[in-house]
Amino acid sequence: MPAADPQQMEAVERSSARKRTFFRWLLFLLLGLFAIYYLAPMYVMIVTSLKTMEEIRQGNLMTLPNEIMFDSWKTAWSGRGYAAGDVFLRPFFWNSIKMVVPAVFISTFLGALNGYALTKWRFKGDNLIFLLFLFGCFIPYQAILLPMARTLGILGIANSITGLVVVHTVYGLSFTTMFFRNYYISIPDEMIKAARIDGAGFFKIFFKVLLPISAPIIVVTVIWQFTGIWNDFLFGSSFSFGEAAPIQVALNNMVLTSTSVKEYNVDMAAAFIAGIPTLLVYVFAGKYFIRGLTAGSVKG
Amino acid sequence: MATLKVSNLTKNFGSTLVLKQINLDVSDGEFIVLLGPSGCGKSTLLNIIAGLESVDEGEILIDDYVVNRVEPKDRNIAMVFQSYALYPAMTVRDNVIFGLKQRKVSKEQIEKSLQHFSKMLQIDQLLDRKPAQLSGGQRQRVAMGRALVREPHIFLFDEPLSNLDAKLRVEMRHEINKLHEQLGTTMIYVTHDQVEAMSLATRIAVMNEGIIQQIGTPQKIYDQPNSVFVADFIGSPAINLIQGTVSKDGAALSFIPDQQKDGDKIPLSGYSFETEPGEGQKIIIGFRPEHIRLPDTSLKSQMQVELKPILIELTGYEKEITFEFHGNEITGRLPRHVDAELGKSITFSLDLSEISIFDSASTMRI
Repeated sequence: MPAADPQQMEAVERSSARKRTFFRWLLFLLLGLFAIYYLAPMYVMIVTSLKTMEEIRQGNLMTLPNEIMFDSWKTAWSGRGYAAGDVFLRPFFWNSIKMVVPAVFISTFLGALNGYALTKWRFKGDNLIFLLFLFGCFIPYQAILLPMARTLGILGIANSITGLVVVHTVYGLSFTTMFFRNYYISIPDEMIKAARIDGAGFFKIFFKVLLPISAPIIVVTVIWQFTGIWNDFLFGSSFSFGEAAPIQVALNNMVLTSTSVKEYNVDMAAAFIAGIPTLLVYVFAGKYFIRGLTAGSVKG
Repeated sequence: MATLKVSNLTKNFGSTLVLKQINLDVSDGEFIVLLGPSGCGKSTLLNIIAGLESVDEGEILIDDYVVNRVEPKDRNIAMVFQSYALYPAMTVRDNVIFGLKQRKVSKEQIEKSLQHFSKMLQIDQLLDRKPAQLSGGQRQRVAMGRALVREPHIFLFDEPLSNLDAKLRVEMRHEINKLHEQLGTTMIYVTHDQVEAMSLATRIAVMNEGIIQQIGTPQKIYDQPNSVFVADFIGSPAINLIQGTVSKDGAALSFIPDQQKDGDKIPLSGYSFETEPGEGQKIIIGFRPEHIRLPDTSLKSQMQVELKPILIELTGYEKEITFEFHGNEITGRLPRHVDAELGKSITFSLDLSEISIFDSASTMRI
């Protein structure tokens, strides 16, 4: 090989550096465009909710409000104080919290237990059972409405928060089981064997050995379940009405039942309030979304 | 202190028979190595002894007590795994004492055992770390510590050194050896590495296809393998195996290699047969690389051979030379000062006093 010409090498280096810079900027430009595309609706929601109806009627969707007014947020949250026909979100927000917290907790816990049993305590037919769980993931919401309504009726928990907790727990089990099963299958069986020889039983191994290293999958499952249950409208509207309704149903009622003029600013504020908890879950739980907590148990 | 007896053990996974009629008798304080290629059933056997797998047929006895239905934790055993299997969420201290805590051992006793064994294994500086912060060798020590503090009657090792690099593996091997000297506990050790087996075992059980092919002291297994499989599996470089037929000249037996050209025969008069082969019987003779020697008339049973090197490899301490021998490639292990050149014949003595002879059809020693 002939000795490299230093001048030529320098030219090559410069041109590849230029190319890199160009593509870097192209990348940022594309990412920026997509970000704007996705954030635009949220921007419209926020600015609209802060405007007065006067201003909205002028028809400038994208402009910033002249004056920031939180009145519509107050109205959406706690109403106008009418004696009758005043729909506002506060009670239904708490309904949703009372529904989503136990439903997420129970379905995640049972999913973890199922996944653990299916991977670490193999038994005859375990694959068949997992297949049935998978099958459960593909059952559409609509298909279980009638049988579930009947079941809730028989159990005497129709039109109640408890009923919705049961529905969401049962429906979510397929997904949570699948998540945990797929996570635990990658954890070496030898760890369980070691614990068994050490004298730990089924639950001890689960709580002491497996659960402490399940943080990544717990976060994934919680985000998935929380989003699904909080945003659910179909089960909420089918199995509850009136005071027992979750927030999404109330939001729908609020937006659709206004008798006089449509108040876009209040509607937007209400929609945003209904979306805040899921946003918070992503912001806070996303931080713990770290993989590789098992690194170190097996070979390094 | 404990003895172990495995009698007529059979194990299936579905329709595949993984262990067939295994019999194994381990006396107190023995170091038994289960040696075999992957898939031979050695790890399954160890798991069954540990109680992690169920028995299909046969019995496992620890101290003359049938433990087939006894839980692993009640068998008074401890096991060290290939992947170390440390609990990632616990510190080294908690890892080591986890088993003692399950057994409700008193706090003082736990602390005493922990101090004693962590010093012994030199992990006393690491007690507050998590497994992820340790090197491979340190993890292995912690795994051993976890087994040791329980002071079990039988130690089970499942390829404990396979994940370590070559240098560390030798170090840890020495330590396991010293540990056995020190504690005198019965140990069962699974490996596919014949060097580990040879250097650790008081007896080796060579396994293949779910059967114990041979069980004996390392020396016995090396010098008198009872089948072609065992002969070939033990030793590096591998034993030289040559196919041929028996020729009878009066009472004197000799061996004619299949592809011989010049009427060369190898006399078999010095070999003590278990069953003497008949004229024309197909047999395989095996001799180890070190049995090709520089000409030495003091050997009591030998023959002169002319060999042409086709490959010369210097290993540092000695030379491994591959020769062509009646259509076979054979390897010799010779001192490094041997003046060998490719393609140039050299005269050697083939030491016949330690050869092995197998029947071609059954591949068993005769």
